[in-house]
Amino acid sequence: MSDLLGLREARLAGAGGGTGAILEVSELIKRFGGVTAVSRCSLALEPGRIYGLIGPNGSGKTTLFDCITGLARRDAGAIHFRGRRIDGLPAHRIARLGVGRTFQVIRIFSELTALENLLVVSGGDRAAASERARRFLAFVHLERLESEFAGNLSYGQQKLLELMRVLMLDPTLILLDEPAAGVNRTLLNELMEAIERLRDEGRTILIVEHDMKVVMGLCERVFVLDHGEKIAEGPPGAIRADERVIEAYFGR
Amino acid sequence: MRRGFLVAGGAGLVALALYPLVGSGYGVRFMLQLFMWIALAQSWNLVSGLTGYVSFGHVAFFGTGAYATAILVAAHGWPWAPAALVGGLAAVALALVIGYPCLRLKGPYFAISMLGLNEVMRVLVSYFEGLTGGGLGLSLPALYASVPIYYAMGLSALAVTAAAHLIITSRFGLRLMTVREDEIAAEAMGIDTACHKLYAFLLSAFVPGVVGGLFARDQGYIEPVAVFPLAFTITMVVMVLFGGKGTVWGPVLGAACLFVLQELVWANFIYLHQLLFGAIIIIVVLFLPRGILGVLQQRYRLPRHV
Amino acid sequence: MSVVITPEMVAQVVVSGLLAGALYAMVALGLALIYGVMRVINVAHGTLLTVGAYTTFWWFNLLGLNPYLSLLFSMPLAFGLGVGLQRLMVRRVVRAPELSSLLLTFGISIALVNVLQLFFSSNLRSVEFLTGAFVVGRVAFSKSRVVACAFAVAITALAYWFLQRTRFGKAIRATSQNPEVAMVCGVNVERVHLYTFGLASALAAAGGSLVAVMIAIQPEMGQVYTFKSFLVIVLGGAGNYPGALLGGMFLGLVEQLSSLFLTTQLNEAVAYVLLVLVLLLRPTGLLGGRAT
Repeated sequence: MSDLLGLREARLAGAGGGTGAILEVSELIKRFGGVTAVSRCSLALEPGRIYGLIGPNGSGKTTLFDCITGLARRDAGAIHFRGRRIDGLPAHRIARLGVGRTFQVIRIFSELTALENLLVVSGGDRAAASERARRFLAFVHLERLESEFAGNLSYGQQKLLELMRVLMLDPTLILLDEPAAGVNRTLLNELMEAIERLRDEGRTILIVEHDMKVVMGLCERVFVLDHGEKIAEGPPGAIRADERVIEAYFGR
Repeated sequence: MRRGFLVAGGAGLVALALYPLVGSGYGVRFMLQLFMWIALAQSWNLVSGLTGYVSFGHVAFFGTGAYATAILVAAHGWPWAPAALVGGLAAVALALVIGYPCLRLKGPYFAISMLGLNEVMRVLVSYFEGLTGGGLGLSLPALYASVPIYYAMGLSALAVTAAAHLIITSRFGLRLMTVREDEIAAEAMGIDTACHKLYAFLLSAFVPGVVGGLFARDQGYIEPVAVFPLAFTITMVVMVLFGGKGTVWGPVLGAACLFVLQELVWANFIYLHQLLFGAIIIIVVLFLPRGILGVLQQRYRLPRHV
Repeated sequence: MSVVITPEMVAQVVVSGLLAGALYAMVALGLALIYGVMRVINVAHGTLLTVGAYTTFWWFNLLGLNPYLSLLFSMPLAFGLGVGLQRLMVRRVVRAPELSSLLLTFGISIALVNVLQLFFSSNLRSVEFLTGAFVVGRVAFSKSRVVACAFAVAITALAYWFLQRTRFGKAIRATSQNPEVAMVCGVNVERVHLYTFGLASALAAAGGSLVAVMIAIQPEMGQVYTFKSFLVIVLGGAGNYPGALLGGMFLGLVEQLSSLFLTTQLNEAVAYVLLVLVLLLRPTGLLGGRAT
């Protein structure tokens, strides 16, 4: 399938060497004061697949994202991206290496226009970057809003903008934190299609979600966290039936 | 429309350049000070308006430049123009020393850490009497230079406003604004916020240093209390807030309006004008957070470089 | 510079520092409360201290009122003022970006300082009350410092008791931990904001009244106390009073030591360098704890 916006070739060639994992989290521990948010969590992602990360509220999913993307400093364990150790690197370095994320609560730049939101991410020639940004905006039908302050956009539009902003990084690994939250059905279908196209381009995607339709529909493999520990992993169907998972969500 | 502005702007510049030929001594001094405030306000805007990292100690750079220049002129016989430039560099050095650790703090904490800076500089300058004359102050050799200083101040104001224009219309400027908007998201999008904040801070220190040096030359005599007053920072802040922080012409507008106000009120009620400034800050923050120009910019969808 | 350091001098310096620490900690507690409950950085905090100092001065000047008795006046006055400020202005920026509350309290601080300047002029004032020192062996402790410390400890203990044991105090603590949950549990968050600001202002003013006996009073005296309160919180690690107390004592110690080895003139520079060092090396405070 032709790539989304004509810009994938170079990265694909080096993505994890084909068989190696693109992301490896090993025995990760993260504490906040007395609370252990992530407890000896280990997982590995193969390139070019869509993964799900689920678990009850407070199970440490967003914290895990924060650790991977460098927004939080881990207490123990290691994180490797494409064979290279990234824990301890500043967040902006990790982003430049090809790890992009969206946030549970949308974090767009309100006082910047939609176009500017995308523009700030990329380096290089400004005209070319603007071109790219406009194409991304067009992809989600936001092109006529390019000069609108992002704070004035609707919730759904902001969510799309946030996603497009991540794509400006040309990320090899995309972490999506509850992309379906607060999104209507039509938009959700569009989103899911977009995610699949991204996967088809060779990118790897890890989604934190509560919406089971999304998880079951998109994810090839699912990790389950509870109280910071990984309690299960496997194909969505198997996870749904897993006793430990049911217990974690619904209690004994 | 745009050409009209450019023509008017050009004419204005020519008029200002020619003014000393026709203006009175008082008039020249008035404009000279106005230029100084425009330069100061615009510099403060470069860091605090764009990145949201409020520098409450900015007058420290002014004072540092003043003393560096004064020492060079008085003790080493430098001509004032290069000395003022060195004053600017001295201010940048201070900004580097302070900025590197303090910018690591989150925005509001950075602001408080800057609160003490002007006092600390005043104390340090007073302490090293041998170099700075301490509390007795420092005198420069007599020189009537109001007109050249008029031009120098004007040039400074012009330079920093041009810099503001360039920055605000560039991606660098946009990235500075992302620090203000959402620093965490900015980091996650690959923007090195620490670096950007530092650059903005260093840039914002240079012109106050230069202008401080010019001030020293103009006054002919400086002392710690005169060049490190909190009142100067307050004035910078209110000018930018009133005019519109984060815009190019907001600080200019704010400086012009409030300087005139200050000149009118100062003559009669010294403390009242400061009180007024405090009240204006309160009113602007509560009801007009984008300042005058900012409101216009939002309402009429004006381009960034306004 | 050859200064002979005797054990007595060291003892004097250390104890003086610790005495000062209690005062710093009390004032810092106010600042920490406001931030904890409302996420507002109160730049005007030091100015409320100044209000307390001038109140004490005024009563002393007018009636010869014992400065320590004037606490009964300055604290409620500041409480009322704080509640007023919060009700009229600060509450509008509680949910706004922190930048707004910062600039707002900055503006309030300027306005207050200049009102005081209008009333009292910028001439230095003083309250000549408890002069002299307690002498223990060959060490002398300034009487006013000792008494100030005693009051500071007492007032802080009272505040602490209030926060830990009374219902409203618990409401304050709940709100500072999690406003949404507190609201759901029936806490009137608006009222908590109001009275926290008042309480914090009262603590600052108490500091002012105590300090009025010791140093020169002038309208801008508060600025340095805002800064030092902040420094204390950074030193002690945000969010815990024992930390603030230790932070205050550490600051007091460093100040006294610097006036011994350097000169009193440089005290502020030393405090500033201390802040920068702590931020560079150990941003979570000397004891660790939540990073600010």
